[in-house]
Amino acid sequence: MNDAAILSVAGLRAKVADEDLHILKGVDLVIRPGEVHAIMGPNGSGKSTLAKVVAGHPAYEATGGSVTFRGEDLLDMEPDERSQAGVFMAFQYPVEIPGVSIANFLRTSLQARLEDDEELDLFDFQELLMERMELLDTDPSFAQRPVNDGFSGGEKKRNEILQMAVLKPSLALMDETDSGLDIDALKIVAQGVNTLRQENPDMSVLLITHYQRILNYIIPDMVHVMFKGRIVESGGPEVAMELEARGYEEYRKAHVA
Amino acid sequence: MSRVVTEPEKPRAAFVTGAVPKAGAVDPDWLRGRRAKAWDIYLDTPLPSTRSEEWRYTDLSRMLPLDALVPADVSLAVPAAANGDGTVPEPVRRAMAQDRHSAGRIVDVDGAIVAVELDESLTRQGVVLKSLRQAARDGDPVVESLLATRAVPASEGKFPALNAALWTDGVFLRVPANVHLDGPIRLSRWVSHSGSATFTRILIVAENHSQVSFVDECLSPDFESPTLVNTAVELFSRAGAQIQYVSLQRMGKGGFYLANQRTLAERDSTLDTLNVALGGSVGRVDLNARLLGPGANSDMLGLYFGDHDQHFDFNTSQDHVAPHAHSDLLYKGALDDSARGVFRGIIRVHEGAQGTDAYQTNRNLILSDRAVATSLPNLEIGADDVRCSHGATVGQLDAESLFYLMSRGLNREQAERLVVLGFLGEVLSRLPLGGVTEKVTRAIEAKLGNVR
Ligand SMILES: Nc1ncnc2c1ncn2[C@@H]1O[C@H](COP(=O)(O)OP(=O)(O)O)[C@@H](O)[C@H]1O
Ligand SMILES: [Mg+2]
Repeated sequence: MNDAAILSVAGLRAKVADEDLHILKGVDLVIRPGEVHAIMGPNGSGKSTLAKVVAGHPAYEATGGSVTFRGEDLLDMEPDERSQAGVFMAFQYPVEIPGVSIANFLRTSLQARLEDDEELDLFDFQELLMERMELLDTDPSFAQRPVNDGFSGGEKKRNEILQMAVLKPSLALMDETDSGLDIDALKIVAQGVNTLRQENPDMSVLLITHYQRILNYIIPDMVHVMFKGRIVESGGPEVAMELEARGYEEYRKAHVA
Repeated sequence: MSRVVTEPEKPRAAFVTGAVPKAGAVDPDWLRGRRAKAWDIYLDTPLPSTRSEEWRYTDLSRMLPLDALVPADVSLAVPAAANGDGTVPEPVRRAMAQDRHSAGRIVDVDGAIVAVELDESLTRQGVVLKSLRQAARDGDPVVESLLATRAVPASEGKFPALNAALWTDGVFLRVPANVHLDGPIRLSRWVSHSGSATFTRILIVAENHSQVSFVDECLSPDFESPTLVNTAVELFSRAGAQIQYVSLQRMGKGGFYLANQRTLAERDSTLDTLNVALGGSVGRVDLNARLLGPGANSDMLGLYFGDHDQHFDFNTSQDHVAPHAHSDLLYKGALDDSARGVFRGIIRVHEGAQGTDAYQTNRNLILSDRAVATSLPNLEIGADDVRCSHGATVGQLDAESLFYLMSRGLNREQAERLVVLGFLGEVLSRLPLGGVTEKVTRAIEAKLGNVR
């Protein structure tokens, strides 16, 4: 445990809530304010599960270990409480909410952060939303579209980052935000993330990715390799380079052995 | 509505033969004759039972104590139009105050028209908006030829017959050829007597290439005993004309809303309907859309949101009589607590109606273990070159959607509200009409509870 950590995951074990399927088998991870950590690993190794357990997805149940966010026990909190405490997850597969506009959704999300007797200033909100859309090079009409409904893969990812930019979390879990983005979109997203980090130097990022590519734009402090529900290697950015070159073969062999 | 109206004891009289001459005392001969014939049909027609396919899920013998209902006692003198606001009940005035611009207004209290207002420029252009009773008395030939004849005649069934015999008043709206209204005509109705039965009719005729929208809002307080509002809606769009008809059923508890609607769309005309059911204890709407000319078009929208033990039953049909017509139905409902929703719809492509385009979709969102939705879409196709589809879904709130919203800081209730509003909102977005969306959204929000 590190008192200065913004996120501290210790010995975390998690299973699928209504099945006897164990996915995380003892994960340790410490992220300090302002740090960027990347998690790489083959499909099915448990990367998304880790992010979802941190965000509070009800489909998973933590069976051991702890998740502490700024000294608070996250596992004890509802997903909305975690969000309001400053945790944000950009979904690998963003969900479609037909009939609810992005603007309405974000307005409701910000309103939910206020006291019951406080009313969100709609003018301030519009201004913030416009400014954030500009930052992400997004057409103003985007905000009037129903959340993710009929969006292309790239639009969905961009919408995640727009939400993040409006909600200004202190910990961003970005689950394969780079997948399905062309290089221009990737640069815009990376610039957006970096702007948020400049605005709030204490903001931390956990970046789940398959590709080294995004790490050229969002430089990680640490890279972790996840394999079969465990973090099997941690190091600097060079780990990502090596993975890109060699793949996961050596971990597979080690695991079989 | 929170106010409960209790009625002092009064003699309970079922619908008796004497009611007919009474209802028709000031009517012209043709109408008195029509009422008498309708009454005979009523007597000869059995009450629909759950043994019939169309009434399987709505048990009238249990839900509606027909014999105990007292027909609304309407003063037989038809009031003069536009007699100030004095007679408009407060809740109706409040609902009216929420409305945006209207081209005309008409107010019905307990089955009697108490106020009529129409933009002067429209009157000059020949638009007629008046008490239906008055129109019949004035000898309007359109009323005589179309009232309870081609659209909702007495022969349609037990309630159309009862209505044709006993209707006390209603709305007559006629828009001359090529006249377009720049805002909707709004009918605000109020029913106040617990245990009463109100029978009204709406007759709208849009002549060639004219355009009109009409919002029919029905309000009441909560009632101690079942209280019937029965309405027959007859809509005629002539060649190239456009009608949009919206029904907002927002009665209080104990309200039993029973509507028979028929739309007759001639060549190249558009006749859209939106039925919104939010209030009352029981709501039953029979809607028959008839596409009578090539190029005719009907969008048929429905939205219902039931909670407690509300019961909503929609029975729709899309009759493609003419070739090359288009109809598209979308009914969406959310059901909470032990509410019940029934949708039964049929597309009938008549022989020779080639090139028909007809769609029908019913979607239900179930918000509680005890809520039930029944969906029975159907097709009957008598032509070969057609495009038709029908679909029905009954689903629950999706856990993934709720998590997504909660992960942005909404609590469970807020997340559920947003999903329900979005789900139902799709219907409203298809018929953007003078403030209806805002009004209905507010009413849904109020039902969802005032949590922010
Ligand atoms: N809700 C679930 N139900 C059943 N199996 C699941 C569920 N979530 C994840 N899994 C399984 O757990 C493993 C890890 O999944 P995931 O965390 O999505 O991996 P990654 O994101 O690294 O590709 C996979 O084998 C996946 O099929
Ligand atoms: Mg994943």
